Amino acid sequence: MAEASVLSEQFLRQLTAVGEVDILIGVPTFNNHDTIERVVNAIQIGLTKYFHRERCALINPDGGSTDGTPELFKNASVKDFGMLLTSSPLRTFHRVTAPFHGIPGKETALRTVFAAADLLRAKACAIFSPDSLSVTPEWVDGLIRPVYREQFDFVAPAYQRPKFDGLLVRGLVSPAIGALYGVAIHEPVGGEVGLSGRLACHFLEQDVWEQELTTFGLELWMATTAVVDQYRICESFLGPRIHAAKQFGPDVTGTIRQVVGALFLCLDRHEAFWRGREGAPQGLPLFGFPYNVALEPLRFNRRRALDTFRSQLEQLSPILEGILTPQTLLEVRDASQLSDRDFRYPDEVWVKTVYEFAAAHHRSAINRDHLLQALPLLYRGWVNSFLQENQKADAERIDRRIEALAGEFVRLKSYLMDRWTAGTGGER
Amino acid sequence: MESDALWYKDAVIYEVHVRGFYDADGDGAGEFRGLTLKLDYLADLGVSAIWLLPFYPSPLRDDGYDIADYGNIHQAYGTLDDFRMFLEEAHRRGLRVITELVLNHTSDQHPWFQEARSSRTNPRRDWYVWSDTPDRYKQARIIFTDTELSNWAWDPVSKSYYWHRFFNHQPDLNYDNPAVREAMWEVMKFWFAMGVDGMRLDAVPYLVEREGTSCENLAETHEVLRDLRQRVDAEFSGKMLLAEANQWPRDVREYFGNGDQCHMAFHFPLMPRMFMAIKLEDRKPIVDILERTPEIPASCQWGTFLRNHDELTLEMVTDEERDYMYDEFARERRAKLNLGIRRRLAPLMEGDRRRIELMNGLLMSLPGSPILYYGDEIGMGDNIYLGDRNGVRTPMQWNGGWNAGFSSADPEQLYSPIISNPIYGYQAVNVESQRRFDHSLLSWMKRLIRLRKSTRVFGRGAIELLAPENHRVLAYVRSLGSERILVVANLSSQAQAAELDLRRWKGAIPIEMFGGNLFPPIGDAPYLLTLGPYQFYWFRLRRL
Repeated sequence: MAEASVLSEQFLRQLTAVGEVDILIGVPTFNNHDTIERVVNAIQIGLTKYFHRERCALINPDGGSTDGTPELFKNASVKDFGMLLTSSPLRTFHRVTAPFHGIPGKETALRTVFAAADLLRAKACAIFSPDSLSVTPEWVDGLIRPVYREQFDFVAPAYQRPKFDGLLVRGLVSPAIGALYGVAIHEPVGGEVGLSGRLACHFLEQDVWEQELTTFGLELWMATTAVVDQYRICESFLGPRIHAAKQFGPDVTGTIRQVVGALFLCLDRHEAFWRGREGAPQGLPLFGFPYNVALEPLRFNRRRALDTFRSQLEQLSPILEGILTPQTLLEVRDASQLSDRDFRYPDEVWVKTVYEFAAAHHRSAINRDHLLQALPLLYRGWVNSFLQENQKADAERIDRRIEALAGEFVRLKSYLMDRWTAGTGGER
Repeated sequence: MESDALWYKDAVIYEVHVRGFYDADGDGAGEFRGLTLKLDYLADLGVSAIWLLPFYPSPLRDDGYDIADYGNIHQAYGTLDDFRMFLEEAHRRGLRVITELVLNHTSDQHPWFQEARSSRTNPRRDWYVWSDTPDRYKQARIIFTDTELSNWAWDPVSKSYYWHRFFNHQPDLNYDNPAVREAMWEVMKFWFAMGVDGMRLDAVPYLVEREGTSCENLAETHEVLRDLRQRVDAEFSGKMLLAEANQWPRDVREYFGNGDQCHMAFHFPLMPRMFMAIKLEDRKPIVDILERTPEIPASCQWGTFLRNHDELTLEMVTDEERDYMYDEFARERRAKLNLGIRRRLAPLMEGDRRRIELMNGLLMSLPGSPILYYGDEIGMGDNIYLGDRNGVRTPMQWNGGWNAGFSSADPEQLYSPIISNPIYGYQAVNVESQRRFDHSLLSWMKRLIRLRKSTRVFGRGAIELLAPENHRVLAYVRSLGSERILVVANLSSQAQAAELDLRRWKGAIPIEMFGGNLFPPIGDAPYLLTLGPYQFYWFRLRRL
């Protein structure tokens, strides 16, 4: 049974009326006026089209929107199902919206969803991002079907990304998880996810809530916990992922702090697990039909980023010396001396950089906040190198390039294990 | 008999097959003498009208819907005098009698058709619809998809095709021919003059054909009905015409006209949705169809039913809904027939008494005049191993003795085997045993009917659907004048709570109608009710 404190009385009253469900979809919101209607309609059509016999509920824990998001959530309606190539729903489509208890944030919102899943005994759940512009009804099928019909417990999304989009995930988080946890999850921090009711309950029972890990890295924690606790995991191709621009979203530094910080915390938490894993990461079953559409490539100001990298490298040297081994730092410095055209941040150096940061974070070699604030500088360096190297590459070649990088993460896993408890000074 | 011309609005109608009810002469099939002997049972049950399936002379290739003589009684069912006696005895007990009139077609054995096919120049040739090619009226769908490939059948006698919307041995009459209308009016006049109170007009949407249309619900068809109604009103009073039009409510609405066509029409789409709602445990299907049901003239009435002599028709549902119904109610392939499911109420409800009661409770409280199918009041089963729809037309189970008390004939002589399985067989399910106990389904049905008839609200009142948050609970208020009845039904297999917004009736005291107990008065706060699995309440809202 869910803890009483997780669900507000208002929420509970609405959930009581919903009763037991087969499928529960959560859409946490906070001022998503511009996109929420589209997301709700897509979900409703998807449920009607693919799960018209099932008992479904859509819940919306709202973090205190002031732009009418909950009202739009409640009132969004599909006018003509026939025109959308589906028939009308057989069942009542429940929508529950209420502000949630506790500190506003994704952690509390998702905890509310999990508590609702527990309370309503949902068999399959999904979390949808409220600001997706590319959401389609097929996403419902993609995230729910593997759980509901194929008995998977965790469905990670697979997106088609614009060229050079998501490099933090593709060049750091995903290959690190693959190498260490032994599972190739391409989008461990995707905004959408599918999960079984039993896994939702399992998450709810963990002792991580209201800690730093779940506050900033919930999706990553969910993915890695599902792996560690041996739940059945798969991926589902959803197509392109385009999100509305966030007015107050975190910058690169903030994102790295949250995502990589969460990764490092997970490594701490799951040390016994990943130390025992060996070999190349296992591919996951992939549902859906992958396809490519031409997406607008993301644009970077490489010149400015490179200048920043060079100038700040020296400024941050005292901090980096407490994190990186002298050899790695030297190689980074050497790279920074190269001309713009020849600038390269070699894969091996990048992987060692990441692993040394992870180890330093584990040992709390320096203040963890300071540590995480230093990483963006090196990340920018690696991104520059990657962009330079792949400027003219197509998506397929970039994928191959990322695979090669992932191989390097695997190859150097023992390096991380060596560094995990060792210091920096003088050790090579 | 009451002289109220709108009697059908308050009626509880009992549909019965003469052949299947009681065999008085021991020949293996029921007849009017047998039915007459069982009128006390029907009066005791509390129904107010009897609807008889076709009893006319017929080759019985469609259970009597293939009529060979509109002015007589099939010899197996007795004589015209037997029928007159039955009619008189029924009226003496306050029971009205509704007969079948198959307007659309005759049997191919009817003398009219025999004459029509005899030569292309026969005066009756034009009483039917003929063609030299099977290519006319292509847009008309085939109704009996399991047996018919075309709506045209080749007549080897006159070497041309004749039109039939149903079985190929049921040629359609040609209503463009005034002589056909006159002939049918003569038939109606004959039976109404004898004392019949109402007629169910079989297959009315198909009377007239026009090229380029679906040949259903055409304006010309409505014109035929208006003409017949005018004649009925001019010559008789208190008679009722009931349209069988398996169509969407907006199309059926046309059969009422401005109160100048049929008095009643079946509400076909409601029926499967009641089954769907109880299986889905969700009121949505019922609410949706009620919201799509148009207003009808004040003098008109819907005919509502759970089961009848046909399959549970799934024509008026979407493909997804039909698939769902098949999966949930017809897992055995044999249970499917055409676009429907040939099963009785009790097997459809898996013998669950609570669900049977709930379905009947809804039937009796939703708008319309309820029609019960013989045997369903005791929870009779069916036999899906019999062909066509015969599995739901087996002999009535009167007791646990010889032939279920239906007939003294040898069992092999019966027109149909009696249901004899351990669950629904006559030894487990029969009138005599259920009469003995107050808690039997039969006794409960009697109470339900009595309660339904205790007020005119159900037959004549308006309905207002309530919208409790709990979708498993269906709630509505029926009202007529100052009388209000609140109906609350739990469609689910588990206990449910529901909060009802009853503020408009603040101060009223809900009185539970079955037990007469008072519930707490209605105030400003949401009215909380808890209901057990499949439980329902009828509350009279009284201001004292």
